[in-house]
Order: sequence, then C-alpha cells, then structure tokens
Amino acid sequence: MIVAERKPLNEIKSFVENYKKILIVGCGTCTTVCLAGGETEVKVVASGLRIGFLKEDKEIEILEDCATRQCEPEFVTEIVERVKKEGVEAVLSLGCGVGVNFMADKLETIPVFPGVNTEFFGAAVEPGVWVEMCAGCGNCILHLTGGICPIARCSKSILNGPCGGSKDGKCEISPDVDCGWNLIVERMKKMGTLQRLEEILPPRDWSTSHHGGPRRVIREEIVSLSQEGGESTKAKEAAKEKESGR
Amino acid sequence: MPEPSIAESSYAPCITACPVHTDTRELAELVTQGEYEKALELLLEANPFSSVCGRICHHPCEENCRRAKVDAPVGLMKLKRFIIEATRDYRISLMEKMLSLPNRKEKVAVIGSGPSGLTAAYDLAKMGFQVVVFERSKTPGGLLGNAIPRYRLPYAVVKEDIDNILSIGVELITEKTIGRDYTIDDLIKQGFRSVLLATGLSESSTLNIPGIDSKGIFLALPFLKTVLSSRPPVMGKRVVVIGGGNVAIDVARSARRLGAEKVNMVCLESRDEMPAWKWEVEEAREEAISIMNSWGPKAVFSENDEVKGLELKKCISVFGPNGRFNPQFDDSDTATVLADNVIIAIGQRGDLTCVRGSNVKINPGDRLECDPKTLSTSTKGVFTCGELLTGPASSVEAVRDGHRAAKAIAHYLETGDLLIQPLMELPALEELPDETAEKIKKLTPITIELLPAETRLKEFTEIERGFTEKEALEEARRCLACTTGALADEEKCAACLTCVRICPFDVATVEKTAVMPEEKCQACGLCAAECPAAAIALKRFGTNQMKEQLQGLLASIKDKMVIRPLIISYCCLFEVTSRKFISEKSESYKKSGIYRIMIPCIARLSVPDILSPFELGADGLTIIACSEGSCLYPTAEERLLGRIRQAKSVLEEVGVEGERIDYWKTEGSAEVSWTSFWEISRRKLHQIKRIGNKKP
Amino acid sequence: MEPKILKSESNLERVLSNGHFAVTVEIGPPMDCNAEIVLEKARLLKGLADAFNITDNQTGVVRLSSIASAVLIISEGLEPVMQMTCRDRNRLAIQSDILGAAALGIRNCLCIVGDHQSFGAAGKMKGHPGAKNVYDIDSIQLVSALKGMRDEGVQQGGDSLEKRPPFFIGAAWTPLGDPIEIRPLRLKKKIEAGADFIQTQGVFDIGEFKKQMKIIVDMGLHECTAILAGIIVPKNLGMLKYMNSSVAGVSIPESLIKRMEQARLKAGDDKKQAKKNQAEEGIRITVELIKQVQEIPGIRGVHIQAIEWEHRVPEILRRAGLIPRPVFPKKGG
Repeated sequence: MIVAERKPLNEIKSFVENYKKILIVGCGTCTTVCLAGGETEVKVVASGLRIGFLKEDKEIEILEDCATRQCEPEFVTEIVERVKKEGVEAVLSLGCGVGVNFMADKLETIPVFPGVNTEFFGAAVEPGVWVEMCAGCGNCILHLTGGICPIARCSKSILNGPCGGSKDGKCEISPDVDCGWNLIVERMKKMGTLQRLEEILPPRDWSTSHHGGPRRVIREEIVSLSQEGGESTKAKEAAKEKESGR
Repeated sequence: MPEPSIAESSYAPCITACPVHTDTRELAELVTQGEYEKALELLLEANPFSSVCGRICHHPCEENCRRAKVDAPVGLMKLKRFIIEATRDYRISLMEKMLSLPNRKEKVAVIGSGPSGLTAAYDLAKMGFQVVVFERSKTPGGLLGNAIPRYRLPYAVVKEDIDNILSIGVELITEKTIGRDYTIDDLIKQGFRSVLLATGLSESSTLNIPGIDSKGIFLALPFLKTVLSSRPPVMGKRVVVIGGGNVAIDVARSARRLGAEKVNMVCLESRDEMPAWKWEVEEAREEAISIMNSWGPKAVFSENDEVKGLELKKCISVFGPNGRFNPQFDDSDTATVLADNVIIAIGQRGDLTCVRGSNVKINPGDRLECDPKTLSTSTKGVFTCGELLTGPASSVEAVRDGHRAAKAIAHYLETGDLLIQPLMELPALEELPDETAEKIKKLTPITIELLPAETRLKEFTEIERGFTEKEALEEARRCLACTTGALADEEKCAACLTCVRICPFDVATVEKTAVMPEEKCQACGLCAAECPAAAIALKRFGTNQMKEQLQGLLASIKDKMVIRPLIISYCCLFEVTSRKFISEKSESYKKSGIYRIMIPCIARLSVPDILSPFELGADGLTIIACSEGSCLYPTAEERLLGRIRQAKSVLEEVGVEGERIDYWKTEGSAEVSWTSFWEISRRKLHQIKRIGNKKP
Repeated sequence: MEPKILKSESNLERVLSNGHFAVTVEIGPPMDCNAEIVLEKARLLKGLADAFNITDNQTGVVRLSSIASAVLIISEGLEPVMQMTCRDRNRLAIQSDILGAAALGIRNCLCIVGDHQSFGAAGKMKGHPGAKNVYDIDSIQLVSALKGMRDEGVQQGGDSLEKRPPFFIGAAWTPLGDPIEIRPLRLKKKIEAGADFIQTQGVFDIGEFKKQMKIIVDMGLHECTAILAGIIVPKNLGMLKYMNSSVAGVSIPESLIKRMEQARLKAGDDKKQAKKNQAEEGIRITVELIKQVQEIPGIRGVHIQAIEWEHRVPEILRRAGLIPRPVFPKKGG
C-alpha cells in the first residue's frame, strides 16, 4: 500500500486560504487504510480549517467528498463534475501524490493541492506503524535476498551488504531503524540459504527505476480493447515501441 | 400485537421471548437517557397491563436475557415497574389525550374483564370502536382483581391499568353474568356487531376422592376471592394445599397469612416438574411452607364431617410418554398428613354457561369450539381469547391474545372476513459466545430484598419494593443492548482492519469488508469512532448525528444573548443518578453558557465530534467521563484520550489553544463534581480570547 | 626476498610485497580550502608511514576533497591512499575521479561505501542530512569496477580504456561488526572483487579480533590480500565510551575503559592534569594494541587513525618501534 501522512493544517491552510469555496477530497483506498486521508480525515481537516478560518473571521465554504480511488478516471470524473457544477475554486486532495496529479490533470485550470505527504510503499507492521518495504525499482531481486528488499530497507540500498554500520540489528542512521541487511542475513540463515550471499551481485541497472525516466505499464490486450484515440492510442504506440526494443 | 420498533434480521431475546414483544432493550436505553415518558409510551403500546406485568409477570425477558451468561440477567421486570412508578402523572395526562379518539359506529361486547378481554377492549377502543365490557364480579380484572393475593399484586396496581383502559372510552358493566343475566344473542339483538368471549378459566377443578365433601375443604379460586374480601376465611392451624401450580402457591401463602401455622403443599410433580415458577416456590419455602412432592390425594379423612387430614399415595410419574398429563400411582405406598383445612388447587376450567342460549358450539371435550388462528368461534362475529382459547396461561400471554382478538374483530368488522393470525415468532439473536462473555465486564445486579418472611406473614402488604431511580439507572446500564451494535457500510469500508485491531471484544473481522457479528458486538462504538473511512455506524446510538445535534442546540440560542464563554460539555450518561440532574439543572447551566450533551459512553466520540463544537462557535469543550474504573469497555478511555490528543493538535495546527478541551473523570457524584469541572473550564476560558468574532 | 610482479606503482604495495609490516596513517582534510593544513600534517608525518589515507568527506561532512588533498601530500613527498566513497558519486563520477586521480599520480585507492549523510549532523555540526545520497554501486562493486579498469582495461559499463589506472586497490573491513558471522564472507567477497589490501575498523578487543582472524587464516584469505589492522587512538575516557556505545563494529573491553578511568581519577580535580593523564594512557593503550596485533597471524600492517590528533602519531610510532620505514629506490618493480 502507498503510505502517506497528513500535512500539518497550517500548511494546508496556507494553500487554500485565498479561495472562497474549496472541496476536500479524501481517497477511499490507500490513504484511508493508512489513516491519512479517508472520509474521517476529510472531516477532521474540514473541521480544523473551519476553526482556523473562524479564528481569522474568514468566510470560506468548505465542501467534503471522498473518492473510492483518486487514481481511476471513473472515480475522479464524479469529483470533477461536482467541482464544475458547484463552482469549487480549489481542491484539496487527501489522496496520495498520484491522486493529486491525476485530479489536477482532469481539472486542468482548477488547482489541486496536496493535503498529505506521500511517503512510501509499505506494510503496517503493527497498528499505527508502517514500514517501507518496496522502492518500486522496476526490477525485483527479492528472490536473491530472502524476501527482504535491500533497495528499500537498507539505508544505502547496497546489494552486497551489510556495510560496517550494522549494530545490534540496527542501521547506523538510527537505533530505531532496522538494518535491512541484518534482516536479510538472519532470514537467509533461518532458511539455510546464507551461502547464496557469497555471490557478488553486480552493479544493477537502474534504468527500470525512476532513474530511467517516468515509467508506464501497458497491458496490451486491455489497451487494444479500449476505444481508439487519445490516451489509448498513445499507449499502444508506446507498447509497440517497447516491443521493438526502444 | 405491536411490531418491534425497528425491523431487524434478529432481535434481542428479551423481545422475542416476550409474548407481546415488548422492546425491553429499548426501554432500558430510554431509562438510561432519563426518557421515562417515552419508555412508558413504548411499554403501554405493547402492554396495557404494564403495571400488573411489572409485578407478576413470569418475565421470560429475564429468563432469556443474554447477560445471564456474563453474570446475571438484567432486572427487566423491575425496570418496567420503575417506568410505571416514575410516570404516574404522565400516564394520567396520556389518558386524557387519548380520549379524543375517532369514533366508529360499530359496537363490540367483551365478556370478561381479565387481561385478555380488557386488552382487546383497549385496542378496539383505540381504533374507535364502541366497546362494552361485561364482568360478572363486582371487581374487574378477572383473576388479577379476584384471585391473585395482594402481597403479590396490590389492587391499586391492577386498578392503574384498568383505569387507564377504561379512561379512553371503554364502558364497563359489572355484576352481570352471561348465560344467566343475558345471552350472546341478547347482545347481538342489542346491536353489538361482535362479541368477544374472554371469560377465562374461572372455575376451580375439584377432586373426586372419598371424603371430599367434608367441612373445611375449599376450592382455590373461591378461597382466593374470599381472601380478598372484607371477610377472609378463618384457617385452622394445619392446612394442606393440593396442587403444585402458581395458584396453589398463592393459596398456600395466603393461608399462612391467614394464620395457618403449618401449611403443607401436596403435589404430584417432583420438585423440578412443578409448574409453579421457581421463585414463587422459593418464596413459599421462605415462608415455612412445606412441599410434599410426588404425592397424590387418595382420600380425605374426617371426624364429624370435619376434615382431619388427607391420605396420600405415591405418584410414580405424572406425564405419559406423549407428554400428556397421565399420573401413575403406587397405591401401596401411602402416607397421611393432618389438616384442619384442605384447599384444592389442581387447576381451573372455563365456565361454558356463557354460550347458553346461543348457537356457539362446544366440543365433545367440553371446550369451546374455536380456531386458534382466527380466534373465531363457530358463530360468525363471536370470538374468543385468553385462557378460554389457550388453556392455562400467564397474564402477558393473555394480553397477547387480547391484541390478537382486537385485530381479528377489527378485521372482521371492516371486511366481514376472518383474519388468519398465526402466533408471530421473531428470530432471536444467537447466544452470547463464551469468548465474548468472558470479556464483558461483570456488573452486580441490583437486587431488591424481599420483606423478611416473618414480617410478610403478618399481613397482605406487598413484599417487594420497586427500584429507586438510582437503582433503575444502574440496572438499566447493565443491558447489553443486543443487536444495536456496529454495522459497516460495504461501499465505504476499505478493509483497513482498524476495527479488527481496536475491538476490545475481538468481534470485528474483515472478510471482504468489515463484519461485526451481531451476536458478539457489544455496541461500544470504538470502531465507529476510529474508522478512517467513516464506514461504521452503531445501529442505535452513534455520534454520526452529533454535529446536527450541536447545530440544533446552538441554533436554538442564536437570537438570544449568548453567554461567553460558551462551553459544550459531552458527558457520560452512565454517571447520572437522577434524571432531574439531566433536565432541570441543565437549564440553569445553559444560562451560564454551558450546554450539555449526554452520551452513553463518551468513548464513542470521534475526532470530528470533538472538533465540531469549535467549528460551530463554542469557546471550549469539557468532556466528562464516568468515574475511574467504571467504564464498561476495555481500552475505551485510552482510545478516547488518543482522539482528544489528536483533536488538540488539530486545534494547535490552526492556531487555536488545545487547552480549550478539558477532560475529566467523574469523582463521587456527577451532581457535585461536574459542576465544579464546568466552573474550572469556565474560569480558564475567561482568560482566553474568543476564537473569532462571529456569533455561533 | 625476490620481489613479486607488482600490480601498481604503489609504495604501499612494495612495502607489503617485500614482507614488511606496513604502516598507514590517516590524515583528515580540513572543512575549508586551506591547503596549508594538509601540507602541515604532511610535513609532520613525512617518512613515518608507508602511505597516508586521505578521508573522503568522512562522517558525511563536507571537507577538502580527497583527490585534492592527496595531490597536496604528494607535493610534500608522501604517498596517499585516496579514499573513495559510494555515497556522493554515481558510477560515472567515481570512474571519472579515479581516472583523474591516476593522472595526478595517486596510486592507492580505498573503496568504501561511506557513512550515511545523516552522520554529518552531530553535536554542533549541521552537516547535510537532507542531501540526496547516491549509492549507485556499493563498495564491493566499486572494488570490482576499479579492478576491471586496472586489469581488464574496461570501464564498468564495458567501454575500454586505453591507459589503465595503476591502482593498489584497498577495501575496508569491520571484523567485529554485526552480524558477526557474515563478516568473513564479506571479506572474502571484497577479496574476490579485487581488494589488494584491507584496512580494518579500529580494533580494541584483541581477543575477539584474534578469533575472527583465526577464521580468516583458516579460510586462507590472509594470503590473498594484505590485512592492516585499524588502530584508533583514544584521546580520553569520553571518546572510548562514545565509540563503545555508538560506533558500529567497535567494542571496547571493560579493562581498557577502567584503565582510562583510573588515569583520569589519578589527577583528582586538576582538569588539565586529567586530560594529560588520559592522553598518555591513550597513547600507551595504542602502543600496546599495535604490539598485540603485530602478533596476530595474518596481520600484515597497521592503519593508524588519530582523529585530529595527528601530531601525536610520531610518538606512537616511535614507541611502537615502527620507525624507520623501509625505503625503496624510485620507479622500481
């Protein structure tokens, strides 16, 4: 899941305080689950802003909504329609960065502000604690490291760890951070596969990650079913390009 | 029979077990809220004999209460009695209101003024029919007025219900016996469009054994009736009561009160088989009444035609293989018991002289021919209900059939047809699972001590008092509020597992979306307050409408001068020991700018609930929890404190002082401690500037 | 001893290949562009060690670059060991700097992953904890890349080099770091990748270090590389305690901490004397440690780190009997 954290309200307030009518949109998927931007948080933010504006004697109308997912056209369309119909001047998204981008793309001239800081892809290791577990690097090597990702879970993303900074199972950067490579070693020891670490992993090809530029994933069989024109055609062309080896 | 107030897939067993489906669970909640009048209305809707049933009901609601698995059932019958006792004046004013009923021209005659007849009369009168009730005795109420001893049921209580019924326009004619003074045909001739036979089982059965004609032998019902009269019978020192039912117990206990020193009950059944209610048997034992189980009467022996005792034979078995009454005796195993009086309480039967002079048919088995589904006799327009229909039954069952009879008659009068009314069975909520029961906080039930046996034997005064208000509130709090728990909206639920993780009773699970099985949910509301998708609501009391409630409250003072600082106070409803405190004092506090919102467990407050008052213009929020250690729900307080911290930080983030939110725990009595908390909050807020310049 | 065919033009390599017990000393560049500071340290230490490590923005603090500092000490006639971390440069920048360093006459390179940039913010130092780190390749991959450039004449990406950089390739090793059982394997990987010499993390716990070295010797790794034991000079009790609790891979035996404590207590309330006593005890400990590691099979030298205390190094080396250093005619091999 994408893990996010709500921005402080004073920052959010500074984004929207010069509009007369704003819409706060939560996201019913990832940011709901990580307690950063679901319907309840929309209420909290709306309430907090109203109190803040009340204090300054500002009259700003705050509307509330929540999309099932802010990263799908069908769900976002409903929001876009509402924004246009009700004359909303600015949108505050409590979805992840994807939601903000996606709604901004659809709304074009109406500003969409981020209400949360999008943090990482992570898991809820215990109630209220989320830990980064995947860096979305586009070339998974988890089969080599006992299912623990050195890219996401080692502070230095090294492939031949652990470095000399591992102490009592913790990373040199903080006693609160687990040493990813210590986890890998412990896991592979348990699995009886520790000897696999003898192999030197060569420098990796980061072009599959963001370092290779903005990425896209195309499922051609689905794309070909969509209507011709617009985004889908572009996607198809890109798919062909990809097939032909760039 | 009224339908339950909310249609549900399953109902609290106290509701399903009650023959009239009284929404007992809702009554407990209304008591908690101090809404005694609403409780009374709900009670009377289900049962016009609520005063009576608050005293002598066999209370299947309590027998089926799911709380029994935790500690002990909730004292629901006494809660009902409390409601009645707390609303006497209101009940009178209700009656006055009900007089202005629509009138319909059809006349209905009800024969017999027991609970079933009068219930039917009441319902029919409410529907606007002209109802006349005929009663052969001087006192209406059937067995309630003419048999049940006053130590159990003071007549004033019966009168309360009957007056209520009569007050809405039911006419009562007493001391007229059907079949003797008038006939069914006479009534029809007089223009009654329908006749309801509700004469009950008014005759005591007797025994056919040698010596039964001796002096000093009584039948139960005539005996009990005399007991109620101004000249009660004189009892010898030793009395034997034959029978093991509730009437037998009434007889035995009355005999004790009339001076009998040694009362023996002789009954065919073993202790466990005795049809009398267990608590009645227990109370009888306390009054030094001996019970000789598994004995049957063989012969009365007498001297000079005066009864001297009873010869008994051993009863081997009471019921045949088909469950029917078919006692078997061992004639060789005999015993004798000495007696100055013998009272026969072996059962009652109907007096079918009521149909004399009409074509209403009687079965070869000497019972009235009638259809239990339509309540119709063989004659069109003549219906029956109560024990005449069902055989021996409890008062509340009689009330149930009274309701059914009224429906049947109304339908008949409107359509000319018979209405098929099978007994309605409601699906009951499953049993409380052991693992859930273990997690529920035990709360000692409020028990009312009966008068000591020696005191109660001196007279016929009522042996049990009702709840005080404090006791009623405390007992009502024990209700598990079955089936009113959390419900997740599948559309909104993100399956985030928050509910699963925080549920203190391990109730919530996530399948595709969150599920809170009804039979486990304790309606603590923690999951609803914490759900990030705002997908969970409590079926009965959620805080989802809190903002609207606040808006309404604040709007009501909008035009008046607003006292500053304006404080909203969320208070734990469970701490209140008197309703007076909820209603009266709040007025005086409003004048000082304090607006109270009572919440059954403030741990249900979500962060938006905590912020709303400020958004709506309040200067401060004082949250008052119940006293230390009294919260019913594990972890509820820490959860609430977490939400308060969150709300405070939201305020701080927008430049508003977090100290505007106060949290207190009740110390000692709410009446004393709350006022001091408010005073502290008020003083503090005087030092802080208002949030804005606008009025709320 | 018949000299072997050398891989590089490094003096350090020659010292080692001639069977001498090698000595390297660390020099920390300043946090500004004052060349004089580097030069002064160079003059102070000239001739006392076989090569001198120049740290690369050590602990994530911006300092005069290791290449520039290395060139500065060459000008004073010292041989540098240029440290190269993976934190601040991607594979392009690293290789480019290596080529540049080779062109400037640097012949030793210690390949390390580098402390995390968050270390830079410590005490009064602000550092650059908000910096974006690189870690495009790790230290083992760096060793391998460097070896490829030197021995195969190819860049990491595969393009060929006409002139190969003649480096003596070093790597760091934390023998007592957690998880300890993985440490010999790590050393093995570094050697396989191409590490000619190894400088270890500072050693205090001789007993544990011996155990770990026994494993290394049993694996035969000591014959594939030259292991120089790291010696950190403890200045005072506070430093010992700090290293013991906070520096990964360093554990200090209670006996050493007690000794330092005693030294401080002996001075009573006299703070100046206390400082002096502790300094003396620190040097005494250092000398003992040097002598102890000299006895451990597989150890072929020491690497002395006297952080901002370089002026005490001559005394240490003298007392340890490591001076004078072997001298070879220029342009040998």
